[in-house]
Amino acid sequence: MELTFSDVTKSFGDLNVIEYFSTTIRTGEIVALLGPSGCGKSTLLHMLAGLQTPSTGTLTAGGKRIEKPSPERTLVFQEHALYPWLTLAGNVALALEFQNTPKQVALAEAQKWLTKVELAGFEHYYPHQVSGGMRQRCALARAFIARPQVLLLDEPFGALDALTRMTLQSVLKDLIEEERPTVVLVTHDVDEALYLADRVLVFSNRPATVLSEIELGHMPKTHDLSAFADIRRDVLNKLGIDTDTTPAQAEAIGETV
Amino acid sequence: MSNSQTMGVATKRAYVVAIAVILFFWQVAAWFLPDFLMPDVHTAILRLWEELNSAEFYEGLGNSMTRLGAGYGAALFFGILLGLVGGTINAVRSPLKAAIIILQSIPSIAWVPLFLILMGFGNLPIIVVVAIGAFFPTALSVMNATESVEKVHISAARVMGASKVQMLRRVYFPAVTPELITGAQLAFGNAWRALISAEMIVGFSAGLGKSLAYSGEIADMTGVMTNILVIAILAAVIDQVILERIKHRLLRYQYL
Repeated sequence: MELTFSDVTKSFGDLNVIEYFSTTIRTGEIVALLGPSGCGKSTLLHMLAGLQTPSTGTLTAGGKRIEKPSPERTLVFQEHALYPWLTLAGNVALALEFQNTPKQVALAEAQKWLTKVELAGFEHYYPHQVSGGMRQRCALARAFIARPQVLLLDEPFGALDALTRMTLQSVLKDLIEEERPTVVLVTHDVDEALYLADRVLVFSNRPATVLSEIELGHMPKTHDLSAFADIRRDVLNKLGIDTDTTPAQAEAIGETV
Repeated sequence: MSNSQTMGVATKRAYVVAIAVILFFWQVAAWFLPDFLMPDVHTAILRLWEELNSAEFYEGLGNSMTRLGAGYGAALFFGILLGLVGGTINAVRSPLKAAIIILQSIPSIAWVPLFLILMGFGNLPIIVVVAIGAFFPTALSVMNATESVEKVHISAARVMGASKVQMLRRVYFPAVTPELITGAQLAFGNAWRALISAEMIVGFSAGLGKSLAYSGEIADMTGVMTNILVIAILAAVIDQVILERIKHRLLRYQYL
């Protein structure tokens, strides 16, 4: 499903978060929106989901104007989006139950998707009984079970430790390759963007403007990012991180930016 | 889990100790006071046993429970409804909350004279007084809980395509359940106090409160203490056994 932004502006009171943003995301494309925290990239994603409306400009999905949320454009949140009163299976099944699928059918389907994200055996656990990584696996299953045409990810692994994050990125990559939705990923993790995306949009600080647009379509999808070294350095420089200095210096610069 | 089980045992032991202490002080008072002023514990328990075998007792119990059920049930229904409405609609919230805070400071028994004249001598004024007592804590707890439902839980349901009814039933209702139950337990205490006092004042047909008031009028202190015993036992059973069971059932996920 093709997604378009045309001249989208968003302001909260006097605060301009996004100014005249336009782009087209092709059907089946995987686009990462990369930028510093609070730059407005999450707002762009929430507008695609239909949870927020632009101040001016329009967004379309499949040629139709986005006005409200739709299950064909689902969103995975950073964390705490599972319902604590439902088991993992109950959480995943709920996505289908909201489409009026009978409970038993929904639970059977949920079982299949939990197995796909390697959570078989944990169906009857409640979210607070499992780790953060397992909760996000469950959140992915809940997103994919409804077979969305558009998958929106809002820093889905931002709260996880580095190793768990890499494992979950692989799980996500496999699911995307299988289901082929159009994907928009919001992240502040450069490596995550390079690993998952076909195209990366690098955003400036507020108001969000695109500093650079990188096509990665032809690059191999692997966690060995050595092939990306030049691109990675370029992206970090664009974000104001000086790659010629030592990490400690870079950190200090990062703080002053 | 073992932790909550040992806590259960400790709670039970605390109740046994408390009951023993209360009965002990009652018995001490009975030793010092003449029988017509304060009966022995065992005299009251024997009377209770007699009562349990009399049809009159069950008529009164049945009447009281019906009034409690009707009043408390109505209060829960309207309390949940208004709480959800107030919690989700910003324009309604603040005025409704203010109205509740003003009205709940009036003891529900104070409404009896008004309702007696307005509704006539009968069950209705008692039921309404019970409902008023139970309504405010229910509505307040549901409203506060509805306001603080996590935004991400609502957004997640919206992107999954939940309808308004599904949103209310599958997201808001379970999200407010923990606070609703606390509110409902508080509301039960209010309802129970309102019921007994209203029955004592109104004195319409048989009932626990009327039976207590009547025993007092004929200076039957054994009857008074027996009625108090019944009122205490029933309240404890309803609150600690029935409501606690429902709570553990509905909030099973929290006890794992």
